Amino acid sequence: MEDLIRTALMVAEQPGVVHADVRVVAPSRFVQLAVRNGAASALTDARTEALGVRVRTERAWGFATTCELRPGPVREVARLAVRLARAAGRHAREPVRVTDDPVPHGGRYETRMRRDPFAMPFEPVLELLTAAENGLHVARAVKSGLATFEAWEENKWYGSSDGASYTSRIVHVGAGVSATAVRGSNVQTRSVPSSFGGDFSQAGFEFVEGLDLVRAAPETGREAAALLDAPVCPTGPTTLVLGSSQLALQVHESVGHAVELDRIFGSEAGFAGTSWVSPQKVGTLRYGSDLMNVVADATEPGGLGTFGWDDEGVRARRTSIVRRGTLVGTLSSRESAAELGLERSGGTARASGGDRAPLVRMTNVNLEPGELGFDELLEGVHEGVYLETNRSWSIDDRRLNFQFGTEVGRRIVRGELGGLVRNPIYAGVTPEFWASMDAVGDRSTRRLWGLPNCGKGQPGQVARVSHAAPVARFRHVTVRGG
Amino acid sequence: MPKRRSRRVAGDPATLFSKLPEGTGGDIRSVSSASITIRFANGRIHQPHLERSTQISFRAAEGGRLATATGSDASAEGLLSLAGRARSLARIAPVEPKFPGFAAPKGRGPGRLVYSKATAELSPEGATRLAEEVLDAAASDAPGSRVAGVVFVGNEQLRVANSSGLDRSSTHSMAYASVLVQRPDHDPPVAGWSEAAHWDAARLGPARLGREAAERMARTTPEPVAPGPYRVVLRGPAVADLLRFLAHLGFGANGEVEGWSCLARQRGKRVAPDSVTLVDDASSRETIPQGIDYEGTWTARTPLIEKGVAGDVVTDLLTAGRLGRKLTGHAQPPEAPWGDYGPTPSHLLLEPGDADEDELVRETRNGILVTRFHYVRVVDPGKGVITGMTRDGTYVIENGEVVRPARNLRFTESVLTALRGATLLGKARRTYFDGGSAVTAPSMAVRSFRFTSATLF
Repeated sequence: MEDLIRTALMVAEQPGVVHADVRVVAPSRFVQLAVRNGAASALTDARTEALGVRVRTERAWGFATTCELRPGPVREVARLAVRLARAAGRHAREPVRVTDDPVPHGGRYETRMRRDPFAMPFEPVLELLTAAENGLHVARAVKSGLATFEAWEENKWYGSSDGASYTSRIVHVGAGVSATAVRGSNVQTRSVPSSFGGDFSQAGFEFVEGLDLVRAAPETGREAAALLDAPVCPTGPTTLVLGSSQLALQVHESVGHAVELDRIFGSEAGFAGTSWVSPQKVGTLRYGSDLMNVVADATEPGGLGTFGWDDEGVRARRTSIVRRGTLVGTLSSRESAAELGLERSGGTARASGGDRAPLVRMTNVNLEPGELGFDELLEGVHEGVYLETNRSWSIDDRRLNFQFGTEVGRRIVRGELGGLVRNPIYAGVTPEFWASMDAVGDRSTRRLWGLPNCGKGQPGQVARVSHAAPVARFRHVTVRGG
Repeated sequence: MPKRRSRRVAGDPATLFSKLPEGTGGDIRSVSSASITIRFANGRIHQPHLERSTQISFRAAEGGRLATATGSDASAEGLLSLAGRARSLARIAPVEPKFPGFAAPKGRGPGRLVYSKATAELSPEGATRLAEEVLDAAASDAPGSRVAGVVFVGNEQLRVANSSGLDRSSTHSMAYASVLVQRPDHDPPVAGWSEAAHWDAARLGPARLGREAAERMARTTPEPVAPGPYRVVLRGPAVADLLRFLAHLGFGANGEVEGWSCLARQRGKRVAPDSVTLVDDASSRETIPQGIDYEGTWTARTPLIEKGVAGDVVTDLLTAGRLGRKLTGHAQPPEAPWGDYGPTPSHLLLEPGDADEDELVRETRNGILVTRFHYVRVVDPGKGVITGMTRDGTYVIENGEVVRPARNLRFTESVLTALRGATLLGKARRTYFDGGSAVTAPSMAVRSFRFTSATLF
C-alpha cells in the first residue's frame, strides 16, 4: 500500500499543486446478518477496496478514486484529480487557505477489543439472532420481528505530500431487535436497545453479547402489542423527559449538524443545508440553558467517532462545543477552521471510505451529565410525559424547527411513571428547546449511543458517529399524539 | 478527450456456475460505474469528485438457504472467492421456503434503451464547464446572490447472470443538476431553486436551471404564515418527494408481506381522482432508463395507480414467492439497510395534466406554493403519514396570485390524503433524481395539506 501511495503522490506532484494526500482503505468490510420472521432477510458479507487521491492547487481541490489497487489505475486517478483541481480553479477568485496542523509520521491506531467479529464464525451470531427474533413473537398482534447484527472493519493507510503517514484498523459492531404489531392501520414498533438497528460501538463481539437481546426480546414484543391498545399521547404544552437514546438523536440533529463549520459557511447550502449559527456568533451565541454542556470527543472509548487521526492527518481531540449554554466551539476541518481564523483544525474531517473525500463530520458529540438521578428528575414533574426510542425525525435545513416521534411514551403523574401512550410526537425550535432544559440526569443515566447512519455530502457519504447522553427534562414543550 | 471506462466482469459467470456443486444455485450482479460530481457553493467550485467503481455481488442458494457476498475484485479468482464466502454464509442461514429459484432467461426485454455516449464519457473539464454554466447564469441573473448546487454526470453498467442460464446487462447514462440562489442579506434569507435530471447531459440545460433559480428567488423578505390546513400548489420536486414515500409505503412488497403497507386494504379501490395515473417504468425514455433490475428481470411499465385506482405492489423473486404474486422486476441492490425497503418502484412517472403553473395558482385561489421539501420522514406507515419542512421558495397565494414569500412550514400529512385531494396537474413534467430513484412528475394542486408548525426563516 505504501508503494501505491508513493506512486500517487509522485504523479500528483505537478506544477500548481501545493498539496496532495492519499488514503487507501483495503479491505473495508461490512457484515450484516438479519433474521426477519424466522427467515434470513439479509446475510451479506461485503469486502471492498478503494484508493482516493486529493490534491489542492492554490485555488481549488480535486479528488479522484478507483477500486483498482494497481499502479496503472492509481497513476490515472492521480492525474485526473489534478485535472479536476485545475479545471475547478478556473472559476475561483480566492486562494484556498488551510490551517497548519502538526501531522503524524508513521503512527498506528487500532480498535481495542476482546472478540474480533471478523475472526470468529458467523454461526453463533446467527443463532443469537434467531433466538432473539423468535422471542419477539409473544403475541398474535406481533406481525413482524427483526433481529440484526452489523459489523464494519476499516483498514486504512494515509500518506501526504507533507510527509505525513499513519495506518489504522477500526472495528465497529452493533445489534438490535424490533417487533412490529399491527391492527388495521394501527402499526406499532418497539425496538431494543434502540431503533434503526439497535446500538453500535467501536468494540468486538463482546459488545453485542452485552446487549442481551435474547432476554430483552419477549418484553419488547409484549410492549409492541400493548401499544396497540394504549391511548394516543395527549396534546399540549407539557413537561417532557427524554430518555437517553432519544436525547442522543436530539443532540445529533439540533447541535451536531448545526455546529459543522462547513454548513455554517454555506458549503452544504445546496444539499444538506446551512445552520442557524453564524460564524460571527461562535463564542457568544446563547444555545441553551446554563445546564447545557456539549463536547466533541474523538477520544471517547467505544465511540464510533473515535480514531487516532482524522482523514487530514489531524490528531483526535476533545473540544468543548457548548459550555454552560454558550456556543464556544465548532466541528471543523483544516480549510473551514482557517476560514474562521483558527490556527488549528478541530480534527473532524472524515470520509466514509477511500472512495470519498473528507468532509466536516461529527465524532462523538456528547451532552455532559448533570447531578440528578432518574427518580429525582421525575420528582419535579407534576404532569408530563417520558419519551424514548426514536420513531421518526425531521429538522429544517438550518437546524431550527424539529419534530421527533418516538416509539413509546409514558405519562408522568406526580413524579411517577404511569401508563403507555402511543404515537407521541414533540416539536420545537432549537435554542428555545435547549433553553427549556431545567434538569439533566447524572452519570448513572448516561449512555454512549452509536448512530451508524449519518448522511451528508454529494456523492453521499454515511458516517458512523456516537453521542453520549443522560436523561434530561424540558419544560413547556409542544407534545401531541400522531 | 480521454474516455472514462467502466470495468467489466473479467471472470466468466458461466464458468463459475459450472464449478458449483449440484444443488447449489446463484446469481452474480456487477455494477460498474464512472461518474463526475462537481459541487459548488459561495460562487465557486469547492468539491469536484471523480469516481470509478465496480461492485460485484454473488447470491448463493443452497437448499433454500440464501446469502450474499459483495466485493470489488472482478477477476476470475475474485468471483470464486466471492462465491465461496456467499456459500459459507448460506450454509448457516435459515431455510427460505418461498424462494422460487433463479429465473430462467425467457421473455423479451424492452429493446434498446436511450443512452448518451457523450454523457457517459464527459471529461473532468467538460463536467466542470456544465457547473460553470449553472453558476454563471444564476450569478448574472441575480447579482450579489450566493449560489450553490451540483452537477453530476456518469454511466453505470449493470450485469446479472445466474445459474439458470440468464445473462443480461443494461448500460445507462445519467446527468443531473440542481442550483440554489440565496440572498443572505435578507433576514430571513430568500431563496430560489431549480433542478432536473436527464439521461443526456446535453438536454439538461444548465444555464436554464441557473436562470430559473434566480427568477424564482423572491425579492422581498419572507413573512410568517400560521400553521394549519391550506390549499397548496406543489412544484415538481415536492411532488417527487411525496411519490417516493408513496412508493415505499404503499407499493413496496415488504409492507404488504408484513401488513404495514398504507395501501394494504385499498388495492383495486379508488385512492385519487381520475386524473391521477402513476406508473413505474424503468424502460421509458422519460426517466433515467434501466433495462433490467438487480435480479436480471426485464423492466417494464408497471401501473401503480390507474385513473385514481390503486394497483398492486411491485416484487422481486423472493417477495413474489412469499406473496404468491407476479414477478414485476423491482429487485433492489442486496445491501438495502435493515432489510426494510425490499422491492420498491424507483422509476416513477406521474401522468401530466394540462395546466401551467399560473393556472394551478389561479385555481388554488388562496393557499401556499411549495417548491420543495426537506428531511421528509415517516411518522405513521400504516396511514401513510409523513413529515418534512418546506424549503428554498415557499410563497403565499392570495386571490389566485403569488403575492409574497412565506417563512418555511412543517407539514405532517398522509400522502394518501394529499393524493386524494389532487385537483389539478401541471402539463410540463421533469425528471428528478436523488441518486437512487428517478421521479418524473408535473406540479400538482392539492385541496388540503396540513402544516403543523412554522420555522423562523
